[in-house]
Amino acid sequence: MTNINTTWHHIRRSPFQSLVAVLIIFISLAIINLFLVVNRGMTQLIQYFETKPEVTIFLKDGLDRSVVENLQKELANYPSIREIKFISKEKALDIYREQNKNNPLLTEMVTASILPASFEVSVSDPKVLSQIAENFTIKTNEVDEIIYQKDIINTLLSWTQAIRQASLIIISVTLSISILVIFVIISMKITNRKEEIRVSRLLGASRFYVIKPFLLEGAYYGIIGGLLGFGTVTILSFAFKNSLNTFFTPITFISADYLFYATLLGGSCFFGVVIGLFASWIGVKRYIKF
Amino acid sequence: MIIDFQQVTKKYGIINALDDVSFKVDHGDFIFIIGSSGAGKSTIVKLILHQICLTSGKILIDDQNISLASKKEIEKIRRSIGVIFQDYQLIPDKSVEENIALCLDINQYPSADIPRRIDEVLKMVNLETRKFLFPAQLSGGELQRAVLARALSTNPKLILADEPTGNLDPENSWNLINLLLDINLKQGTTIIMTTHNREIIKSLNKRVLTIDCGHLVNDSQLIPVEIPQKPIKKVKKITRKHHD
Repeated sequence: MTNINTTWHHIRRSPFQSLVAVLIIFISLAIINLFLVVNRGMTQLIQYFETKPEVTIFLKDGLDRSVVENLQKELANYPSIREIKFISKEKALDIYREQNKNNPLLTEMVTASILPASFEVSVSDPKVLSQIAENFTIKTNEVDEIIYQKDIINTLLSWTQAIRQASLIIISVTLSISILVIFVIISMKITNRKEEIRVSRLLGASRFYVIKPFLLEGAYYGIIGGLLGFGTVTILSFAFKNSLNTFFTPITFISADYLFYATLLGGSCFFGVVIGLFASWIGVKRYIKF
Repeated sequence: MIIDFQQVTKKYGIINALDDVSFKVDHGDFIFIIGSSGAGKSTIVKLILHQICLTSGKILIDDQNISLASKKEIEKIRRSIGVIFQDYQLIPDKSVEENIALCLDINQYPSADIPRRIDEVLKMVNLETRKFLFPAQLSGGELQRAVLARALSTNPKLILADEPTGNLDPENSWNLINLLLDINLKQGTTIIMTTHNREIIKSLNKRVLTIDCGHLVNDSQLIPVEIPQKPIKKVKKITRKHHD
């Protein structure tokens, strides 16, 4: 009889204890997987806003070309500038027409002269954004209006931060419970098998031979819990994919990125095995002493 | 396997289970240890297995001092010993087959050969039909034979038999003795057997150690008083098959 058979034998002999062990790892890893999927969606959301023109500086009419060029140079001198895009009056009209192409009434009366030229500035460091906004607000001769997406990003960042913190707390609690539950289950199984361990030792079994089935048992719980956790979250993600993506249009909150899901699967199983092994190892260390 | 007890003393608190006992068992010997209950017979078996530690003296197994042996060396020694425990020591929730398989697996027997070896040893002890039964489903005699099968399965260098005939009827007792004699003769396995069964001892020309209150009071080579009257049919059959 191999160790794997012995392990299955142990699992079969106390199916409800095994079920509890698998369930607790499943819950923990489902939460971790869910957090990773949501976190990925939130990152996409933030990235979308970060790559959008975060500050739009509308210029007054009738500015000289040199004044506009100077303003552009001044903007370019700020650190962390990702892109500075000048939208001329004509281009602004094109954009306006494109956005309202289904509504001819709105486009008929509009000409390029009534639309302001503007700079769309995107940065990689949100702090620079407020500096630009502050410095250009006082240029009342050149600047007509500044539209600043600081509030949106701040809200998103605080949401993401809150989700991360809450997830970390929940994950820590569930992981601690998982480790404790598996430790207790393995300890009970060791106590139930004291006689078998004693006889095995008398027959010449090494310490590793005796503890291996218990460690394997923990690893099995981990891998099964990991697979179930990953499977459940993946199914849920794809089930709600369309509705979530519609809600967050134009951002793809849930994408069919197979590499991401393959990494999630591998990570889930690996992490499950680590939790199972660690908890079993504590049990073995505590209760098998020879 | 050579066992050498040198002035071995084992105390349980103030009780002397063994007191200054010295004897040597050579490779291929077959010896009996006799004595009344509590005389110290089982203590000798436990000391050889290093199940308990001695209080003073020295036990050498194949010239290795067991008291100084590492855990790994003790495990190796135990793997080279087949033990027939007085109280069977079978794992209750494993079948006869699984109990033997566990022993073979501990001895790193090739997995593919384990089923064949189980069948062989169960045939030797005439227990093929009880292969899938659990210890609780076996009679005393069947349990004793299951333990014997487990002990024989690994072709040990030493067989320690602690009161192996205690729960057997005369026919099965002789079956077991003849099987052990056969193994001792053909494989050169050292056999140490504790027993109360004076009839068996008298019938065989083997060395006998007599223990009384922890003291080795006699170490002698007894001349057989009587030979078993009639060889039992089953014994012949088993022996012949084993020869094949």
